[in-house]
Amino acid sequence: MNTQQISTKQISVKRYLPDNSAESYWQQYELPVDDSTSLLDALNHIKEQLDSTLSYRWSCRMAICGSCGVMVNGIPKLGCKTFLRDYEGEIRIEPLSHFPVQRDLVVDMEIFLEHLAAVKPYLIDDNPVKPYDPQAPETYKQSPEQLARYKQFANCINCGLCYSACPQFGLNPEFLGPAALTLAHRYNLDSRDNGKKERMAELNRHEGVWSCTFVGFCSKVCPKHVDPAAAVNQGKVEAAKHTLIALFKG
Amino acid sequence: MEKLAMNKPSMGKNSTQHKQAFDEPLWWGLFSAGGVCFAVFLPAVILFIAVLLPLGLLPAEALSYERASSLLFSVPGFLFVGAVVCLPLFHAAHRLRHGMFDISVGNDSINKKLMYGGAALLSIVALGLVVAGFLG
Amino acid sequence: MDKSSSQRLPPLKRNWWLKHRFFKLYMLREATVLPLVFFTLCLLAGMVALLQGAESWQGWIAFMGSPIVLVLNLLALAASLFHAATFFVLFPRVMPLRIAGHSLPDKAIVAGQWAGVVAVALLFFWLFGRA
Repeated sequence: MNTQQISTKQISVKRYLPDNSAESYWQQYELPVDDSTSLLDALNHIKEQLDSTLSYRWSCRMAICGSCGVMVNGIPKLGCKTFLRDYEGEIRIEPLSHFPVQRDLVVDMEIFLEHLAAVKPYLIDDNPVKPYDPQAPETYKQSPEQLARYKQFANCINCGLCYSACPQFGLNPEFLGPAALTLAHRYNLDSRDNGKKERMAELNRHEGVWSCTFVGFCSKVCPKHVDPAAAVNQGKVEAAKHTLIALFKG
Repeated sequence: MEKLAMNKPSMGKNSTQHKQAFDEPLWWGLFSAGGVCFAVFLPAVILFIAVLLPLGLLPAEALSYERASSLLFSVPGFLFVGAVVCLPLFHAAHRLRHGMFDISVGNDSINKKLMYGGAALLSIVALGLVVAGFLG
Repeated sequence: MDKSSSQRLPPLKRNWWLKHRFFKLYMLREATVLPLVFFTLCLLAGMVALLQGAESWQGWIAFMGSPIVLVLNLLALAASLFHAATFFVLFPRVMPLRIAGHSLPDKAIVAGQWAGVVAVALLFFWLFGRA
């Protein structure tokens, strides 16, 4: 394939400029593309060459920062990981669904960050085997088998695509949602962690794991193949066990 | 900074936000068990009882009144009803409840009582019929 | 932290699932329980008929043979198979099975469940298929 072959393509971007108008509108841009043009390249081209008023988020260009999520023809995608060569005909770019839009393609992800903070996505160890000694700090040991239990779920980059894919989050924004529940499960599975009990109080709520109906679209759109739907539903098994144990312990 | 909250949760909801869902594990457990039964048992049950039997494609004695009675009104018949009627009913109740939420029909706390209550009621009737036939 | 400090959008409209094929298939999966409920009610009626006597049992078989009932139950049969196809692939994701530290391949778990469907069908054939 000749990657130097340059052609032009038209993309439509949903614009929202609250200073000018309360209504959003579609704007078409025509730009040169070749086989290596990513959607992020295209947005940068628009910003630099065609229309400096366009707003969008981006940073790393390599699917690790998770900033450049947008809807492409109604499906949540990372701009840097989406290539225009894969699209015949119309390309419609919109801000991520289920989040309030601030301006053009920039959304307010505050609620996702709140849900994330609620599940305490960090190692919790209130009763370490040995007290911490700054003179002789000891590292936690973890075997490859123990790592393998949670490794897949640790690949999340917090891009929020799964929230835009999740109708249950769209129907009820109080639902903790795919990424937060996955991160909770990831730390619950970590052999170095002792915070499961604290996280279970969040997970075992109606707005925790129990709002999920395994639609599964979150796992389809995840750019890092984390499979949040699997993590959330494994969380249901854990929440059920937790409830049973609480029942017998009284 | 002033933010426009289009759908702020009410203060009352905030206080119940950490309420533990002690019942959900039960409904989900019954849903899962019923889902397995629906998938593993129901294809054969529907094929033989609701398709081959009424079409006269089974041998005449296969489900004659006497044979059907002796098969159903027994301990294995009781277990059969549990796996083929009761658990799938709870599976259906769970999916209907969530389906109604998905398409914004009714109120979840009422739907929940109606659906699971209906499944429980029909389950008791079904198991009661087996016991009645067993004793009668 | 004030939980309600961030902005919320109004909930999705009830036709959200019509906008994407993936969501339509999800709704179809959820709707498999509708013909299941119909079949279950038929079965309950059959149990009542069986309790009442030989005559009503024959009446029930005739009712099951009426075209509309038969079509709805054929729909239930198709629904049960579609449900099985969608449900079996979820199992290894919800309960990943590990044997001696190695996770069982998803395909093996799915194949095992289909083997269960065939085994139940064979059991029914052994029970009812022979004169």
